Amino acid sequence: MPAGATRGPKMEQIAFTCLSVLALASAFGMVLSKNAVNGAMCLLLCLAAVAGLFVQLHAYLLAFVLVLVYAGAVVALFLFIIMLLDMQGGQTWRLRGLDLFAAAVVAALLITGLNLLAIRGRLESAPATGHSVGSSLKLYSYQLFTTYLLPVQVMGFLLLIAMLGVIVLSRRNERQEDSK
Amino acid sequence: MTPSLEAYVMLSAALFAVGFLGVLVRKNTLVIYMCLELMLVAATLALVAFSHFNGTLDGDVFVFFILTVAAAEVAVGLAIIVALFRARKTVRVDQLDSLKH
Amino acid sequence: MTPLHTALSVLLAPLASAAFIALFLRRRGTAASVVSVAAAAFAALGGLELAFGLSRFSGSVEWFRFGSFAVELGFKFDDLAALMLSIVGVIGLCVHVFSLGYMRDDPAKARYFGGLSIFMFSMIGIVLADNLFMMFIFWELVGFSSYFLINHWYEKLSASDAAKKAFIVNRVGDFGFVLGIILCYWRNGTVNLTELGASHDLVFSRLIPLLLFCGAVGKSAQLPLQVWLPDAMEGPTPVSALIHAATMVAAGIYMLCRINVLMVPSSMEVIAWVGTLTALYSALCAVTQRDIKKVLAYSTLSQLGYMVAAFGLGSVGASMFHLTTHAFFKALLFLGSGSVILGCHHEQDIFRMGGLRTRMPVTFWTFTVAVAAIVGLPGLAGFFSKDAILVLAYDRNPAVFAVLALTAILTAFYMLRLWKIVFLGEPRGESAGQAHESGVSMTAPLVLLALLSATGGYMWLYHGAFGGVFSQIPEAAGSAHVVILLTSLFVLAVGAGSSLAFYTSDGSDALEQRSPAAFGFLFALRACFDRAYDYYVQKIQQRAAMALNFIDIVALAGIAVRGLAGAVEVVGFGVRALHTGRINNYVYWFLAGVVVLWAFAAGVL
Repeated sequence: MPAGATRGPKMEQIAFTCLSVLALASAFGMVLSKNAVNGAMCLLLCLAAVAGLFVQLHAYLLAFVLVLVYAGAVVALFLFIIMLLDMQGGQTWRLRGLDLFAAAVVAALLITGLNLLAIRGRLESAPATGHSVGSSLKLYSYQLFTTYLLPVQVMGFLLLIAMLGVIVLSRRNERQEDSK
Repeated sequence: MTPSLEAYVMLSAALFAVGFLGVLVRKNTLVIYMCLELMLVAATLALVAFSHFNGTLDGDVFVFFILTVAAAEVAVGLAIIVALFRARKTVRVDQLDSLKH
Repeated sequence: MTPLHTALSVLLAPLASAAFIALFLRRRGTAASVVSVAAAAFAALGGLELAFGLSRFSGSVEWFRFGSFAVELGFKFDDLAALMLSIVGVIGLCVHVFSLGYMRDDPAKARYFGGLSIFMFSMIGIVLADNLFMMFIFWELVGFSSYFLINHWYEKLSASDAAKKAFIVNRVGDFGFVLGIILCYWRNGTVNLTELGASHDLVFSRLIPLLLFCGAVGKSAQLPLQVWLPDAMEGPTPVSALIHAATMVAAGIYMLCRINVLMVPSSMEVIAWVGTLTALYSALCAVTQRDIKKVLAYSTLSQLGYMVAAFGLGSVGASMFHLTTHAFFKALLFLGSGSVILGCHHEQDIFRMGGLRTRMPVTFWTFTVAVAAIVGLPGLAGFFSKDAILVLAYDRNPAVFAVLALTAILTAFYMLRLWKIVFLGEPRGESAGQAHESGVSMTAPLVLLALLSATGGYMWLYHGAFGGVFSQIPEAAGSAHVVILLTSLFVLAVGAGSSLAFYTSDGSDALEQRSPAAFGFLFALRACFDRAYDYYVQKIQQRAAMALNFIDIVALAGIAVRGLAGAVEVVGFGVRALHTGRINNYVYWFLAGVVVLWAFAAGVL
């Protein structure tokens, strides 16, 4: 279908553009917002956009996992802690010129460098060969449980240690609280 | 036309730069932490793009592990921040300079 | 026991005695004295047995080695060493026995005898040494023993000053000595005396013997380093007898005889004249002295000058012969003066003595024998040895002969002056009036030495044991024989006669009375060296030292050391400023590092 053929890819392009603009805008919003809670919300939006991009890259499992774990758990945790600690509402955030200037320079450097790599470097983008392999859950889990079994086990340990660490850290506080 | 690989990589670079900017500029520890997470997400985006365009699974699997590590790290990091808050009664980075000479 | 073992035990017995005294007998003076005398007796008897038993040997052991440079310790026991060892042993034993009486009431007796033992060890080491390094080690040890003993009554400022002076002046000479040893090693490849003697391609330079002679100039107190010997009379009299008359100062002569193989005619000329001038100068200085020991000290200087001149004129035999006879009569003179001093209750001014002839007869007669020997009365030991030197000088160098003859006149002059004022006439002080003879421990050595002074000139005494040395004594031939004999008699008559006639037995110095100008001149002559050295040290050396001190404080300590520390401190301050405690700053630094690495990776840097 010539019409669909010309419009299909164009749809992808539009989708990509929208999602990327959304991601960047919300990222800026998070960085520049005065209120921490607003910032967390912006982060949420950013994550949603990135999840969309994942979907566009045919990595469906990852998109779901991103939303579930990151947006659902991590950002939620952030919000809890923000609301626990941030008792003064929005903190005043003065714009110090020197700081911002230096930061802008830094960001420019980063972008320039990476773009040099991307544009002038030899990134041979092979055309997407039909189905992206990452869309197949079966293949994905097969890889996870054979080639990458060791990292999975290590992750298990990591999570265990993180749990223990959190318990220990929060416990110390309680003991201090009790001793008062 | 599907967006080319360079587009994805540039987007990832832009998000990473924004996150880094946030780390440098902001004074609130929690916001800094969120910007760190943003940097991680940008990295995952680049990985997935590469994986897609090379037709392999390695990038995707790696992203899986990154997400796990990020989750663990957030948990522990926030616990530390809470403990720090209870000790110092502040989360502003410029007030947490007791390692100063 | 093989001769080598005997020699080793002779060397080590005094050391063992000194160690024993130092460790266990610090408070027990009598026990220390017994131990020391026993060690000295053992050394003397062992030495005599080796010498007269005609055992001549050598042996060495390697001490340490740096690549091709090795230091060995060894013995070289030839006729020369045998002769010297006998002298050291006999005189040493006499002095030890004398000290038993002289130092009986001294509170620090143990320290004294320990010092004597150390000295014996060091001196025997010099005598037996077979290479110049070993000789130098013991040379320094002898210098130390001398310092230790001069300083015996260290509470007296004059004594400690004199000890320091002796050591420092010796050091100056030793500097030349060390340079000579190094040069000799460098040019000849060895400092072993036997090897040097046997070598066929010795390097003959003027410098090596003259530098080695510097050591003798210091140790044997030749001009210009003679200033320490008169001051060294601050030590106890037996010490003066042993060290500063008979043995240590003779070590310089001994060393010269040992290195005879390295001599060249031009340097021997220098040596001869140094000796001659020393002899003349010290004889002139002796004429005006009031202290009995100082007269004898200048006399020693003069006779050492004779020995050095004899060596410089080319005869080892004459030099060693005079050394032998001089050891006998000079030790006797000093011990006699010790007896006199003790008898007059530690009085040393000769113008307060007098009339001791009747009160201290043994001392008087032995002293007379010694005086006769030194002025060269025919038949006694000094006559023969002095004659040998005069013969030598007459043959080789008439100018030296004339000066030595003049010195002989002066010798007779001042010795007779001393003899007359101390012993003849009436006592001039109460202590002299109450003088009494000393005990047998002090008179026995005097008698023995008197016998040796009388008979020491006759070769039958030595049973041909020292043929290697004494065969080289020059004998006068033909008309020279008569000339020398007449000269000796003339010198004796003029010197002794004029002295006896000139000096009176009242309490004043006749020369001072009759011609103050001459007296003043001689007095100034004596003091001129000390004044010159004083000037040099104060004006030149002290200023140089202060300048160096300034450089040390400012440049080295200030700039180099503290400057470097300061620079490090500044860097530390700079680095400390990086620790702001703020995460933002740290991230910036982190970024800077990343940029640098990036630049490296991209090939920009």
